[in-house]
Amino acid sequence: MLLDLFYLLTFLFRGTMQKKRAIKVSKQKDGFAISFYAMASACEVLIQTSDEQLAKQIGQCVSNEVWRIEDKYSRYDIQSTCSLINASNGQPVKIDEETYLLLNFAEQCYQLSDGLFDISSGVLRKLWTFDGENAECKDFPCQEEISEILNCVGWDKVIYDRYSVLLPKNMQLDFGGIGKEYAVDRSILLAKQFTDKPLLINLGGDLAVTGPRENNQAWQVAIEAPNSDKAGHTQDMIVAIKQGALATSGDTRRFLIKAGTRYGHILNAKSGWPIVNAPRSITAAAPQCIQAGILATLALLQGKNAEKFLIEQEITHWARR
Amino acid sequence: MTEITKQRNIKAALSIATTALLGTSVTTTTSVQAKEVDEWQFETAYLLYSEVDRVTAGEVIIAGTKTFENDEILNLKLTIDALTGASANGAVAQPKAQTFTRPSGNGQYITPAGDTPLDDTFKDTRLQLNGQWTQPLEDNITTSIGGHLSKEYDYLSLGINGNLAYDFNKKNSTISMGLSYFLDTFTPEGGIPKAFSSMLVGDSNSPEWNDEFAKTRVGDSENKSTTDILVGFTQVISRRMITAFNYSYSTVDGYLTDPFKVVSVLNSGGFAEDYIYENRPDSRVKQSTFMQAKYHFDESLLNIVADVSYRYMWDDWGINSHTIDSRFTIPVGQTSYFQPHIRYYQQSAADFFKPFVINNQSLGNFVSADYRIGEMTAITVGGKYGLLLNGRNELSFRLEYYHQMPTYAGFSLPAALDGLDIAPNVDAIIAQISYSF
Amino acid sequence: MKMNTIIFRTRLIRSMIKPLLLSACVVSLSACSSLGVEPWERDLLAKKEMALTSSPIDAALDDHIYFSKEASSGGKSFGGGGCGCN
Repeated sequence: MLLDLFYLLTFLFRGTMQKKRAIKVSKQKDGFAISFYAMASACEVLIQTSDEQLAKQIGQCVSNEVWRIEDKYSRYDIQSTCSLINASNGQPVKIDEETYLLLNFAEQCYQLSDGLFDISSGVLRKLWTFDGENAECKDFPCQEEISEILNCVGWDKVIYDRYSVLLPKNMQLDFGGIGKEYAVDRSILLAKQFTDKPLLINLGGDLAVTGPRENNQAWQVAIEAPNSDKAGHTQDMIVAIKQGALATSGDTRRFLIKAGTRYGHILNAKSGWPIVNAPRSITAAAPQCIQAGILATLALLQGKNAEKFLIEQEITHWARR
Repeated sequence: MTEITKQRNIKAALSIATTALLGTSVTTTTSVQAKEVDEWQFETAYLLYSEVDRVTAGEVIIAGTKTFENDEILNLKLTIDALTGASANGAVAQPKAQTFTRPSGNGQYITPAGDTPLDDTFKDTRLQLNGQWTQPLEDNITTSIGGHLSKEYDYLSLGINGNLAYDFNKKNSTISMGLSYFLDTFTPEGGIPKAFSSMLVGDSNSPEWNDEFAKTRVGDSENKSTTDILVGFTQVISRRMITAFNYSYSTVDGYLTDPFKVVSVLNSGGFAEDYIYENRPDSRVKQSTFMQAKYHFDESLLNIVADVSYRYMWDDWGINSHTIDSRFTIPVGQTSYFQPHIRYYQQSAADFFKPFVINNQSLGNFVSADYRIGEMTAITVGGKYGLLLNGRNELSFRLEYYHQMPTYAGFSLPAALDGLDIAPNVDAIIAQISYSF
Repeated sequence: MKMNTIIFRTRLIRSMIKPLLLSACVVSLSACSSLGVEPWERDLLAKKEMALTSSPIDAALDDHIYFSKEASSGGKSFGGGGCGCN
């Protein structure tokens, strides 16, 4: 039922609110839902309280934080830190502690994934245009084009320290793979400072909770159904979450098909090619949202071994093929 | 593709990285508790079927489905329907008014001149319960068993069914076989009429009535049993297309006559002299082949899903039929769809079907004037509109027009029937609202 | 009281040709195991609209109507007994 509002909002927000920065507070059965639009997604905060003022305050606080992160790390915003770095043309750019920590985190992920996860791989996207469901790609880029653009990819080429970052010419950073999940985690921390009331923050499907609801009840969220081979068996699955976060990584709507093979939109940063034979989406559960997001993405990068990877790592997950 | 096997515990390494990013205060709580929840999925539907000047039926269905841990599925369904209105009693129209006796024997009804005789005593309420359990056995084998119970004032039906399905070829092909058995008991009001006996028409209040009426009856109730075998094959053709082929064999034994229907006995001029109760064989073997294809078009054709099927049925009563059914699901926006529907049906008459008999004709062993086993063409045209609410619940509206055109080809009409519509069309509206949550 | 069943049965045998032809089609179809898709190509097939019976409730309601009003039943699913529909 709390879900109901989320979906209703997704429906309302889609395509209609481009850049409006307003929050909307609505009363739920035993709490409030504050909804807003950020990072190209419908976002909401669910709080179990009877205090409408508190709900408004939390809503304001969370949405401001999310917009702050969006303004700072969105590559579409010319004034963002990300864009400043991308436009630096080989010159060092001053960075603050937050950016430094994020770059460090990106470094860890780069190491852990053996280079497959690389926030400098965004430029590869120029070569691959991923369309709607029915895209039959006639013009795959040729290997030469890919090899050339790979010269502009490689986290190992990025030099940074606590105060500045040096991005070689023609390279670009893209925080898209970690931005939303980071925003969820930051918002949870902020909200926890403000109140003890049970809270759920959901930014377009990447979500986390501060803890269980009153009386140790779980929050119920719906995710796309996993493995459905049997025709007609495609209902959403309900997950009950009491602690931690869920993040979904996947490409149900954006993929290419060529000669019958389906290429997902996650690109292998080392080869420049899209991953083949990966599940269509993975939802992973972890204590923090950013962890869940990275695990889901790392799993997808394993292609056909995605589920095996998650099982080996003992991650609670739902994969959809 | 490099496999991440060097790092044995990525989870732990990532936890440390996350702590560094978010601040040490985070990791103190850290476990994650998230698990799948099994919920019941419900579907409800409310249907109104209404024939012009004839039968009206209302039906309510409530069904619940629950999926268990190992993909077992339980489906329970409750159906309640109520029927009122008039049905053709089998007699043919006449240029003068006609009087008939109600099936119960209590009372008469009069049909105006020129009209098709309709008996309006039918008022019934029915309750039906269905349960179905689907159990995956191995990776590619699924079985299912189910039960059925249906009770109305004068009818009881009990049934069981079982099904076995085998998937192969990367689950692109499925072959299945099902068996079902139904046992029905019919206790019609007024008892079972004696075949070919005349309908007693007179004053049901007169003292001799009950005795005379009883003479036309042979019993209170009768049974029939139905055994069905269904063999099915489904094949995924491509990313956009799936097909299915079924063959079914069905045998029904027992009382198959309709105790409420009569046949008009006309003199050579065409005037009704008598009405006799019909008689059908006590067994019927039906077979059918069915094929269906569904195709998902791409964006250039609005992502329409087309569903077309054809069924050919034939039986040992001489009836064969063709059914072509097609539906096109057209997405409208992100959360709704429109689905136009056309169905074409055509059947031939049973060997023993006669719209009426002339008094000097030999009857043979079986005769029936029930237009539903006569030659007929029927068309259904309609549409359904559905919308997704709250991302999970669906509300839909369906409206259809059903038009039946009986054709009594090959029967020459005696003079009295000249100018009368003895094979009237039947028009009905079907309206339905469904909600699933 | 099974009279004239012999006549009915001969017609039945003649009409067995049709299912035999159909079976032949089916068998040759299934021999084409090149037909089909990989598990990750099932995105469209997994949609509810692509299920062979996308609305079992509608199908059940329609089957009931046509069973009561016509001489044929089943084909896609069991025809069965079920009710004394008039």
